[in-house]
Amino acid sequence: MKLERKEFIKGIIKENPTFVLALGLCPTLAVSTAMSNGLGMGIAATFVLLGSNIFISLIKNIVPDRIRIPCYIVVIATFVTITELFMKAYSPALNRALGIYVPLIVVNCMVLGRAEAYASKSSVKNSIMDALGMGLGFTLALLLISGIREILGLGTFFGYKIIKSYEPMFIFALPSGALLVIGLLMSLFGLLKNKKT
Amino acid sequence: MKEILKCGLILCVICVVASGLLAAVYSFTSAQIDKQNKNETGEALKQVMPRAIRFEAVKSGEEITYYRCYGKDNKVNGFIFKAKAKGYSSEIETLAGLSLQKKITAIKVISQNETPGLGTRVTDETFSQQFTGKSAGDISQVSAISGATISSRAVIKSVEEKLKELQKILK
Amino acid sequence: MKNIEISKNKEDKILSDGVNKLTVSYSPHLHTNQSAAKIMWSVFLSLIPAGIAGIFIFGSKALWIISLGIISAIATEGLLQYLNKKKITLNDGSAALTGLLLSYNLPANSPWWLVIIGSFVAVAIGKQIFGGLGQNIFNPALVGRVFLMTCWPKYMTSFMKPLNAGFNVFGSVNYDAITAATPLMIVKEGEALSGLSYWDLFLGRHAGCVGEVCILALLIGALFLLLKKYISWHIPIIYIATVGVFSWIFGQKGLFSGNFLFSILSGGLILGAFFMATDYVTSPLTRKGQVIFAAGCGVLTSVIRLWGGYPEGVSYAILMMNAATPIIDRYTKNRIFGK
Repeated sequence: MKLERKEFIKGIIKENPTFVLALGLCPTLAVSTAMSNGLGMGIAATFVLLGSNIFISLIKNIVPDRIRIPCYIVVIATFVTITELFMKAYSPALNRALGIYVPLIVVNCMVLGRAEAYASKSSVKNSIMDALGMGLGFTLALLLISGIREILGLGTFFGYKIIKSYEPMFIFALPSGALLVIGLLMSLFGLLKNKKT
Repeated sequence: MKEILKCGLILCVICVVASGLLAAVYSFTSAQIDKQNKNETGEALKQVMPRAIRFEAVKSGEEITYYRCYGKDNKVNGFIFKAKAKGYSSEIETLAGLSLQKKITAIKVISQNETPGLGTRVTDETFSQQFTGKSAGDISQVSAISGATISSRAVIKSVEEKLKELQKILK
Repeated sequence: MKNIEISKNKEDKILSDGVNKLTVSYSPHLHTNQSAAKIMWSVFLSLIPAGIAGIFIFGSKALWIISLGIISAIATEGLLQYLNKKKITLNDGSAALTGLLLSYNLPANSPWWLVIIGSFVAVAIGKQIFGGLGQNIFNPALVGRVFLMTCWPKYMTSFMKPLNAGFNVFGSVNYDAITAATPLMIVKEGEALSGLSYWDLFLGRHAGCVGEVCILALLIGALFLLLKKYISWHIPIIYIATVGVFSWIFGQKGLFSGNFLFSILSGGLILGAFFMATDYVTSPLTRKGQVIFAAGCGVLTSVIRLWGGYPEGVSYAILMMNAATPIIDRYTKNRIFGK
């Protein structure tokens, strides 16, 4: 039990996919303009990660080494398409806001990275824990980035205006602001990690 | 040879399972997706032409050129057209209602992916309200949003061009 | 030897993750701590005429912007160094210079918070985050300016009109902010420039940033730096000449129809070329490298002015070439004799 908890916890800070492993940065940069988008993306990616981790861990013994990558991609693409279909059916507004970045989860290196580095070598139980932890870490990272960007760049929190007379700092709504925020947060994570050890 | 066959077979099985799964999910969600799409267009059409109760798409080939709007008395009381143009970072789609006198009743930007806070201001009411009552000749009087010049000019231009096009068809 | 000692001290503080390798950059090692302060204060001194001119042209508002910029930059540097438990190096003048240069790059009617945020970003993100003076990749003042430009284009592009054409600072002054377009903005909009002579441009009798408008005052300061040999002529002259020639070739009415003199007298070119592109830390070390750097700045400035979204491109051009400086240095480093 203890090991499983460790697998879950590690994704949040110690091996945070965004700030420490630096995986899946493209969608992180692109969709973190608003917190609702960040949350939606985080949940979608977590779902895909969970599905692909479970499946890949199940089929790891029957898949020959030589064709493992195509197999993983097929599995991941399936789950991404499922996610997209559900999103289109039940939350079209979110689907439109996230745009191309939902189908692009297929090539999100966080999902493939966890499949290759973890799920293909671990038990189903551990893979589930890993996926949940990584997904949560990814979602939290997205919420943190998009929170900073939305509050500073638009003056809103989940779409609600906070201060009336606030003059938004547009740079945070632009891609350059995303790079700035991620860079500063990464250095902060590095600082925290170094202090601990 | 045997190795290749084995690999191919396994990949094949995985693909079949995956496509089966997708087919199941698709058939489960497709009705809902259709409904959402229809709802959305219906709602947007209503917004630019509130006095109409029924819309009829006029098509040339597969594409919808414009919508004819019918009022309560089942008579045509206006038209709706869709204008598209490249903005700053995305394609901006605008829906515009047209009265029988060929004057714009209202416009609504229905799809855009512009810079949040800047280009997205084309969806603001202060901008879209300027269009109300304009005809093809004086649309250019609509003033662009400062800080979002490219996006707002794209909307203005696309509506103007499409309106001129439509005037020829409707005549 | 001195260099090695300095970097060792820094390494002890900066690197705590166990990678305590001693890295020595390519020779020549020009910077030592001692003369850095002297150079910084000399540049500061040489910029004072332009500031005085700015105050004459835009009134006491310009003085307010300049002092606010300097004070907030110094405060930021002191605070960050205190919080990081580093040696406080306010008397090397680099923070004061950053604040001064930033305020010179702002419109005289900027709101007070704009200046403070700009100074903070310039010192904190432009310099301290990289490890302080000598470690920064980009010119700090320009980092601050571009940050403000992207955040609040509204405030950064509404320029105050000069108080009155006759340099009469004591006369009756109307402080209602009357905004006007800069000469470059007028040209960018495709309108003709009327009622503005080269003499007006040279003396700064037009709308613009606090410290960039009076070319005469800037040249006095630049001459002082050149005579004292704190800067060499290579970067500024090549930069300015490139902009002039490029603008002349790609004129609005066809090839070779541009206005050479207008392009070099308007905007922040003189300020940028003499005082910001020549920054020791962020420009190449070798002569050859400096020539490439300056020409690159010139081409980028003209390209932005002619075909870009903004009327002025000096700050972006210098920042882009700052980013290219390490590569330029690598390919133009001096060969060791005999190799």
